[in-house]
Amino acid sequence: MGLDANLDLNQILRMRLARAESRRQFLRRSQAGLGAIALASLMGRDARAGADAASPAGDGVPIPRRPAKAKNVIYLHMSGGPPQQDLFDYKPLLNKHHMEPCPEELLKGQRFAFIKGRPKMLGTPYKFARRGESGQWMSELLPHTAGVIDEAAVVRSMITTEFNHAPAELFMFTGSPRNGGAAMGSWITYGLGSENQDLPGFVVMISGGTDPTGGKALWSTGFLPSVFQGVQCRTVGDPVLYVGDPKGMTREDRRRTLDAINRLNEIEARDHGDPETLTRISQYELAFRMQASVPDVMDVSREPDSIREEYGAEPGAASFANNCLLARRLVERGVRYVQLFDWGWDCHGTGAGDDIVHQLPKKCKDVDRPIAALVRDLKRRGLLDETIVVWGGEFGRTSMNEARGGSTFLGRDHHPHCFTLWAAGGGIRPGATVGATDELGSSIVEDPVPVHDFQATLLHLLGLDPFTFRYPYQGLQQRLIGVEDGVRIRKELLA
Amino acid sequence: MHRHAAWFGTAALALATAARADDRVDYNRDVRPILAKNCFACHGPDEGDRKADLRLDVRDEAVKATDDRDPALAPGDPEASVALERIAEEDDTLRMPPRKAGPRLADAEVETLRRWIAQGAEYAEHWALVPPQPPPTPAVSDPSWPRSALDAFILARLDREGMKPSPEADRATLLRRLSLDLRGLPPTLNEVRAFAEDPAPDAYEKAVDRYLADPAFGERWARPWLDLARYADSAGYGSDPLRTIWGYRDWLIDALNTNLPYDRFTVEQIAGDLLPNPTDRQRAATAFHRNTMTNTEGGTDDEEFRVAAIKDRVDVTFQAWMGLTMGCAKCHSHKYDPLSHEEYYGAFAVFNQTADSDLPDESPVMPWITPEVADRQRQLDARLGELKAQAGAIVGPPAPALRDEIAKAEKAKADVPTLPIMVELPPEKRRVTRVLLKGNFLDPGPEVGPMLPKALHPAPEGRPVDRLTLANWLVDRKNPLTARVAANRTWAILFGAGIVETEEDFGTQGEPPSHPELLDRLAVDFMDSGWDVKAMIRRMATSATYRQSARSTPEALEKDPKNRLLSHAPRVRLDAETVRDQALAFAGLLGRKVGGPSVFPVQPDGLWQAAFNGQRTWTTSRGIDRYRRGLYTFWRRTVPYPSMAAFDAPSREICAVKRVRTNTPLQALVTLNDPVYVEAAQGLARRIVREAGSSPEDRARYGLEVCLGRPPRAEEVAPLVALHAAQLERYRGDPAAASAIATDPLGPLPEGMDPADLAAWTAVANVLLNLDAVLTRG
Repeated sequence: MGLDANLDLNQILRMRLARAESRRQFLRRSQAGLGAIALASLMGRDARAGADAASPAGDGVPIPRRPAKAKNVIYLHMSGGPPQQDLFDYKPLLNKHHMEPCPEELLKGQRFAFIKGRPKMLGTPYKFARRGESGQWMSELLPHTAGVIDEAAVVRSMITTEFNHAPAELFMFTGSPRNGGAAMGSWITYGLGSENQDLPGFVVMISGGTDPTGGKALWSTGFLPSVFQGVQCRTVGDPVLYVGDPKGMTREDRRRTLDAINRLNEIEARDHGDPETLTRISQYELAFRMQASVPDVMDVSREPDSIREEYGAEPGAASFANNCLLARRLVERGVRYVQLFDWGWDCHGTGAGDDIVHQLPKKCKDVDRPIAALVRDLKRRGLLDETIVVWGGEFGRTSMNEARGGSTFLGRDHHPHCFTLWAAGGGIRPGATVGATDELGSSIVEDPVPVHDFQATLLHLLGLDPFTFRYPYQGLQQRLIGVEDGVRIRKELLA
Repeated sequence: MHRHAAWFGTAALALATAARADDRVDYNRDVRPILAKNCFACHGPDEGDRKADLRLDVRDEAVKATDDRDPALAPGDPEASVALERIAEEDDTLRMPPRKAGPRLADAEVETLRRWIAQGAEYAEHWALVPPQPPPTPAVSDPSWPRSALDAFILARLDREGMKPSPEADRATLLRRLSLDLRGLPPTLNEVRAFAEDPAPDAYEKAVDRYLADPAFGERWARPWLDLARYADSAGYGSDPLRTIWGYRDWLIDALNTNLPYDRFTVEQIAGDLLPNPTDRQRAATAFHRNTMTNTEGGTDDEEFRVAAIKDRVDVTFQAWMGLTMGCAKCHSHKYDPLSHEEYYGAFAVFNQTADSDLPDESPVMPWITPEVADRQRQLDARLGELKAQAGAIVGPPAPALRDEIAKAEKAKADVPTLPIMVELPPEKRRVTRVLLKGNFLDPGPEVGPMLPKALHPAPEGRPVDRLTLANWLVDRKNPLTARVAANRTWAILFGAGIVETEEDFGTQGEPPSHPELLDRLAVDFMDSGWDVKAMIRRMATSATYRQSARSTPEALEKDPKNRLLSHAPRVRLDAETVRDQALAFAGLLGRKVGGPSVFPVQPDGLWQAAFNGQRTWTTSRGIDRYRRGLYTFWRRTVPYPSMAAFDAPSREICAVKRVRTNTPLQALVTLNDPVYVEAAQGLARRIVREAGSSPEDRARYGLEVCLGRPPRAEEVAPLVALHAAQLERYRGDPAAASAIATDPLGPLPEGMDPADLAAWTAVANVLLNLDAVLTRG
């Protein structure tokens, strides 16, 4: 190939990049960077002219956009399923019948994970009071959260179809109880892109020492392009795996090696004319920037003492408090979706390590102050208007004492038929209460909110039409909210 | 936004125009995609969701007038066709499809439908359900180019677009491509040099045969099948306990290396246990479907997850062999393809009679005796013989020490690796299968017997419809899909993308083939050859199409940016396992033992600490097992090996037909900083210093030749020499840093090597392992 031909080719390549300028505006916001351009040619989707105008993946699948109230999500998931009766769903009648045998009609047709025979009712050991101007009933275990509860809409009538952890978490976060679906964070970054070119668009952080039961499938990209995968950031060790240079290599050393890589890759691009090579050059540059930006954003010691104290954050700890503060730092820098998983809420009562008397107060203490600090901090910075904060679990817990194997510790079994979740900010109606359960806190008597309805409402607030936001895979138009009809955006939750 | 959309649309537009060169509207090519996408969800095969009692997927129904309405389609008369009227309706609240269901049809689509109705609204069966017929070889512009019939199909298509194929790639590039594609390993320097000098006219063909015969062939080609088989070393779900099933991987590698014909490969995996007098190998093959997940989380209902596993087996069988999305029919009849809800549970009934039932012990299992285990057994037998002879020689009871030793040897002998397999229930324990309403195992409907989808060919007669019948039905010559799907998958591995790009979906929702006649020719040839897999690979790898240069021209980039027409060879980023294997091979570290248990190479500390349950410690393997090929890496579903996950390896929780190839900064971080790759860079640096001449130029040239598989040019050598000089100066002044970068984690330098020099070469080697040309097969 002669020199002129090379020039022509380079011109073509540059032209392709230049033409993709508006696309790159998306990419600048996504971890994908230029990778998504390459992706567009790899995805094998029909590139119908005009139809892909809004798809950050450039795969030709239209993204139905609407005016948005919110830009970001911080999802605080209490892995294991917090007991609604001990935190939000006040049931004096249940307390009255504490330790009485469970009425037969509550057991009819029920499947339990662990309860066998006829269990006894379990009242809450905790005091409840009306909190905030909205007068929300809350237990004494969450005094700090009570201080910000007026910002939130509390849904007492969440309902799921699953009563084992992994399927229930998969359902909550991928819209399907089986493996293979795409995570909500992947859907949302796929639909909206990210706003920071040096950070991933979908970040996951874990506290409590254990991954959620659903595992990494909960932040898997599933059938969506894999650049929308959640990236796990850690507060101990490398904040993102392999982000640190090898021992004996400084930033200057890395810069020089990178320059050599780029130089040889430019020769390769010239000789072979593959746009993917140019993409790789830019991805290596992005990696280099991430090596600085990720440790920077993940360093809580950069926050003033007063803020760290407010959250209860301590540099170097793998704590929920640190993760809450980091969530704010990430959202502030344009990360689209931050998912926190906190382990230890599976209060069966098989021992002191998982009961509602010892373990539950401990867990509440871990999360209560950081949650309140997060909501207040976001509000002070004007970020709460555009950030939805969600708190919840994957299912509820029974109003009966589990007493597995005759355990004398108090605890509750898995319960899919009702649980409490709250959301604040980003167009959520502050101070609202949605739904109600019966007097024993066992089933919903008013306005059930299925998981898919809640997901649809989140998408709606983010400006994505939940019904037509879909992706073709295996012969179906896949949606976060499933393919079945009957899902609703819940107006009760909207400001 | 508008400009780039137009840009991305160019290619498809060009191809579409060509496809419509003749005026006749073709149902399969032009019409079905429009109806399938926009109409069939409510007016298709699924009786449950059908609206207005109207079907548009069956001509007799669509053209029928009823008392209530005129025909939806009036053949020859677009104006009288109610469907077209509703589709073209200007009022957005009245148009079809309804706003909630989807966007308005594009004008061009409406026009296509109008012309189709005007031409008589003729339907045709979906191409993939019509058995492949051997098509005639087309005439081409340059009869000297094709080396085989398959090249003629490629060239004929390029001719139609006014495009030209590319010249043959240079020898070095060809050998590297071939070695990576057939063995998943780079060619050795000796192979490269020998091949460059081989004057034989069939030097290339001989190289193909050599690599097909290399044991590494089976390892490389096992990888895509392991993705399909959702093979993993753990049971999945929340607890994700470890599972011993690597014997299946051994079986698979061996089946590929011995070139087990694909029909037998199929029958043995689905129903090896039902063959007359099955061998241990045939029973072991059935572990294929024991790769389903088992849920051992506390409080789960075993029947719920047994049913989930059976559904998975149905879905994966139809997916892997026939490219059909049968899973869609588990809740309701398929909305697009002729697969009913009842038929789904008919296939479910076929798989519903095995003894496994979501139990933590994975029963039933069989012993898996590798040559090493057999050796050990023989030694133990000999030892036991001796001990027992000693015991026999003693009058009275043997001494406690001897008794203990016998017990210990017997226990050791009983401790052999196992393999979960399929075992059919005895007749008296057969399960009754019912249709599960909406797929819910708690909501059983009418009873259903074992059956196969009616829209396809009938089952072979003479035996009940069981797994063996189903397997024989899959490889029946009348099956329109099995050979096509296998040929397409093989093609995709060698050419970067399938002829049917949606490898996972040959149904009406999938993409039509880019070269339908070629696909049929490959499928028919494959069956005619006796399902000879290596012969099929050989046919493709020796073609002129395969041997083209990967260099793209501006014209090709403009006209066909996805290179669907193969005017040049594809450049493809190596898959996760190969990225690893290649780096270790360059470093001289790669362990070449074939088969055996999974291994634990270096990964970041603490990843398993966070596991919900079960084993939490990852004990890094020692010795050769630290450096085995990627496919032997222990695969825990909920905690995937992170560097391979970054390079798009799936979790294997479900069947993955193809891996999407991404290009992300996280991948750059792996090959730049992961200690595995730092160690490989150190090994490569030592090799360069040991094996190359003494000048920095010689050494840089040598490193490039090892990694690129070709002699480098001066402009490529210069930046590496400059980097070496800069790093040498820097590391001379910082011995601690030099020592770290040159030895951590590989270990102390051999006697006589200069730490600063090796540190500088490690930086150069780190560069080499990150070059686009090295990470890409060109």
